[in-house]
Amino acid sequence: MVFGRFFNWIMNFFRTRQNVRLGIYGCTNVGKTTLANKIAMDWAGEEVGKVSSVPHETRFVQKKEKVIIDSNGKKISINILDMPGLATKVDYRKFRKYGIKVKNAKERAREATQGIVEAIKWLNNVDTVLAVMDATKDPLTQINVTLLGNLEARKIPVILVANKMDLKKAKPDEIREAFPQYPIVDISALKGTNINQLYEAIIKHARKAK
Amino acid sequence: MKLKMDFVSSIKLNGKPQKKKIDYILKRVKDGSILILDGVMKPEEEMELIRETMRRIDDGFPGIEVCSLKKEVKGLKFLFEKINEGGEKFWTWMTRNPPKTDLKIGMTLIGPAKVIKKIKKNPDSFSVLAEV
Repeated sequence: MVFGRFFNWIMNFFRTRQNVRLGIYGCTNVGKTTLANKIAMDWAGEEVGKVSSVPHETRFVQKKEKVIIDSNGKKISINILDMPGLATKVDYRKFRKYGIKVKNAKERAREATQGIVEAIKWLNNVDTVLAVMDATKDPLTQINVTLLGNLEARKIPVILVANKMDLKKAKPDEIREAFPQYPIVDISALKGTNINQLYEAIIKHARKAK
Repeated sequence: MKLKMDFVSSIKLNGKPQKKKIDYILKRVKDGSILILDGVMKPEEEMELIRETMRRIDDGFPGIEVCSLKKEVKGLKFLFEKINEGGEKFWTWMTRNPPKTDLKIGMTLIGPAKVIKKIKKNPDSFSVLAEV
């Protein structure tokens, strides 16, 4: 068993990875799928998934593979991995507020819990992470702290994305104050504001994972 | 309505395997208790706590609220902590078994989401709004 692990480690060390696996993580309703769609539309002409105001719309890992990003003459091939929103609770009753029937709300909650389990599993299989935060909300949540702590422990490069900059209430400086040790890009995934700065940051930091 | 709060010493959980720690916490929280630990779990253990919570969610248990405050260690203590973490990683890598780690210095509150409505966290404090 020990020799098997050592052999795998050697194989991984010498393996040349073709595509950077870019995980898009964050709490629910911070705009992960909107961002994934923006990146995929800009470089592949196709969306990744459906966007909704109902929490836990993304309940399975959504992928778009071999997307080539080109910024200032530098290119990188990425696999976009749009993760279900992380949460410590999933209450089917919350979905009822959106007019979803009890049976469907329970099914949605069950899928959401499985999605969170899947997203956590994927932490072992991503090269770089975009940690998306809603710039209009308090960034100092336990989910954000736990997520960043895990990425640091796994030595996975992370870029903080302060999203929803198109909204007046946006305060990206609160994210900077809460997590000063990480690179951060202020964007509006919906409007495409500052998206080129994000592509530059992805190229700069994702290469470290190779 | 009654609210039960359990103050648990880190001695109770130190040295226990990750699974037993999480079982201990979730069993009490699922029974309705708010747990206050005089220590902080590692981020990996906290993520595992979230993952295990998701597996145990049902109609009567929508999940947990958790908040922790970790004391930043500096100087020699920081060095010893890093050496210890390196040893734990090596042990995990060699055996594929999670190490039996101790809680770090700090404080953690874990409670049922049904009762805890909101936690407002600051860098060195947090306030909890509960509704029974």
